[in-house]
Amino acid sequence: MRAGIIGCGKIADGHAEQLRALDGVELVAACDREPLMVGQFMDRWPGLAGYGDAAVMLAEQRLDVVHVATPPDSHVALACLALEAGCHVFLEKPFALDAQGAREILDCAARNGRKVCVNYLYNFESPALALQGMLDEGRLGEIVHVDTSYGYNLSGDYGIAVMADPAHWVHRLPGKLFHNVIDHVLAKVVPLLEGPVEVQAKAWRKRPASGNVLVDAMPDELRFLLAGSNGVTVSGMVSSHARPVAHTMTVRGTRDTVELDYAARTLVRSQRQEQPSAIGRLFPAWVQAGRFARGGLGNIAAFARSDFHYFQCMRVLLERFHASIRGVGKDPVPPAQILMVATLIDAIVAAVEPRA
Amino acid sequence: MRVLVTGAGGFLGRHVAASLLEQGVGQLRLHFRGAPPPGFVEGLATRFPAATIETAAANLLYRHDLEAVVDGVDCVVHAAAGMRGAAADMFANTVVGTRNLLDACVAAGVRRVTLVSSFSVYRTERLASGAVHDESVPIEEVGISKGAYAHAKTRQERLVASYRETHGLETVTLRPGVIYGPGSAGPSSRVGISAMGLFFSLGRRAELPLTYVENCADAIALAALRASDGAAYSVVDDGLPDCAGYLRGYRARKRGMRVLPVPYWALLLGSRVLLAYNRRSKGQLPAVFTPYIVRSMYRGFRHSNAALKRLGWQPRVATEEGMRRTFEALGNEERG
Repeated sequence: MRAGIIGCGKIADGHAEQLRALDGVELVAACDREPLMVGQFMDRWPGLAGYGDAAVMLAEQRLDVVHVATPPDSHVALACLALEAGCHVFLEKPFALDAQGAREILDCAARNGRKVCVNYLYNFESPALALQGMLDEGRLGEIVHVDTSYGYNLSGDYGIAVMADPAHWVHRLPGKLFHNVIDHVLAKVVPLLEGPVEVQAKAWRKRPASGNVLVDAMPDELRFLLAGSNGVTVSGMVSSHARPVAHTMTVRGTRDTVELDYAARTLVRSQRQEQPSAIGRLFPAWVQAGRFARGGLGNIAAFARSDFHYFQCMRVLLERFHASIRGVGKDPVPPAQILMVATLIDAIVAAVEPRA
Repeated sequence: MRVLVTGAGGFLGRHVAASLLEQGVGQLRLHFRGAPPPGFVEGLATRFPAATIETAAANLLYRHDLEAVVDGVDCVVHAAAGMRGAAADMFANTVVGTRNLLDACVAAGVRRVTLVSSFSVYRTERLASGAVHDESVPIEEVGISKGAYAHAKTRQERLVASYRETHGLETVTLRPGVIYGPGSAGPSSRVGISAMGLFFSLGRRAELPLTYVENCADAIALAALRASDGAAYSVVDDGLPDCAGYLRGYRARKRGMRVLPVPYWALLLGSRVLLAYNRRSKGQLPAVFTPYIVRSMYRGFRHSNAALKRLGWQPRVATEEGMRRTFEALGNEERG
């Protein structure tokens, strides 16, 4: 399959690295409105054809798959352009600015008989895949509640860029900073929820005011509560201040509970006290330690197999997306889940807007 | 003459502004990406009451903001650059920003641009060990083999050269070595890197091309005002230590630093292994050290500042004193 990328910013390198690692896919072209950015991308990924106009790239390159790695306000136009040109499309998150935009892309894909997918990569991290296996086997019983935490470091490179630049596209998103990251949180819980989903949310700015109205309008703490019509509830924290920066999820079922750490790539079953008296309280920590140790050994084994790349999860997602294009697997991120994430983002944005 | 300094809030830019005023610039405009550092502009105005000091805030990535920044300017000292972040971000903040600035300069009729480039652009991989490293060493074609920063600075320098040819801008290029001083970051990667609780001492006996921040700023200001069109200068001080000597001074002030010396042959061998592993594992570990980088950066050369001295530059702070000040500031920081 011949693949091309639109948007040559920093995440495009992540896409290119994973595409180059896949069998049966060849990255052949890149496009950015800024010719210097196309040039630097081609310096790093030699052998590509470079373009400043996506329509020209699509016309000349006969691409099978197009990766859209541009800011989200361009996603509907670029995705539809590529879909109508007969390409399958893989989009960076956020999928679109709102549910209306998400519907437009999904409808366009359906009209043209093409596949569309979004980079909900963390659903394909090793603990997430292990969780899916447990859910399929019913080992957790009925899901009761999910608690999810996602940290965002405003002192990191990207945070500094956003904070220092009132014109950064993140400030134009309806949900601002959270709009750019909350897909990662919601995409993980949406498969467990049935709609309609009741949404409560609160967001606020914890950091001191900078004096810039646009920058100061950006909240940096978000809490939300989702209640699905199937009785599953989800509590969520997105925090710029809590340390260490978290990326965790706890899934509580009627039979068992598991704790996932996406950064450490571990999934462990929670251990309860099974022996009586004070003696019984000695055991859980050791049982839990043993489970973490097994997870650590599994990670070492994956590293030894070269299956522990920083963006390993994106590689797995892309493998499954390309398999679905070839008709040998189902959609790794079903359209209904994409739409539900977009709908929930709209609801969270609406819930926090008056207080933001 | 009105001089504009871009990136005037940076570690180097602040000193460049002061040096230009000391060298007689009467009208100075200072560019900041956001707000100026607290008290900085006021401090300059107090020290140089006869000078007119203006400020301009703009992100160089936004072309339309730059007309006002360069309006009425005769000479630009371009010190702003992307120093951190992902490769694409560093490139955008360095090269795209420079292109936008140059376009604005051409449109506004700015006569002269002085670029603060970097030592990293020199193609030293082919230079013999122990050879003199001066401005006769060619610069990289693309720079990608030396990492994201060298790539961006090489492209930036070539871009400025193309504007000189195409638009007739007068250009002067300064290529500072390792800029240091109180408040600078830890040791340069030429000296070594921290990882897994250890400091891997890499440069060892190789001469460290230091330039104390005030000396470097003086050189940039002098070249901006006096150098001939098209000139390029390496900026290094006198009496340069080797990397191991610098590290000894640093360690004396840095508590609990555990150092693991890595001989050159081991570093070169390690870089070959890392590169092979990077390819075999399809990028599971990034090839941050390649044989090309090791041969370019970790061999010993004799650095020359003769060209700058011919222009009339003399380092105002001796290296020994510069290191003393830097390490003393580090010690104060450690004590909290």
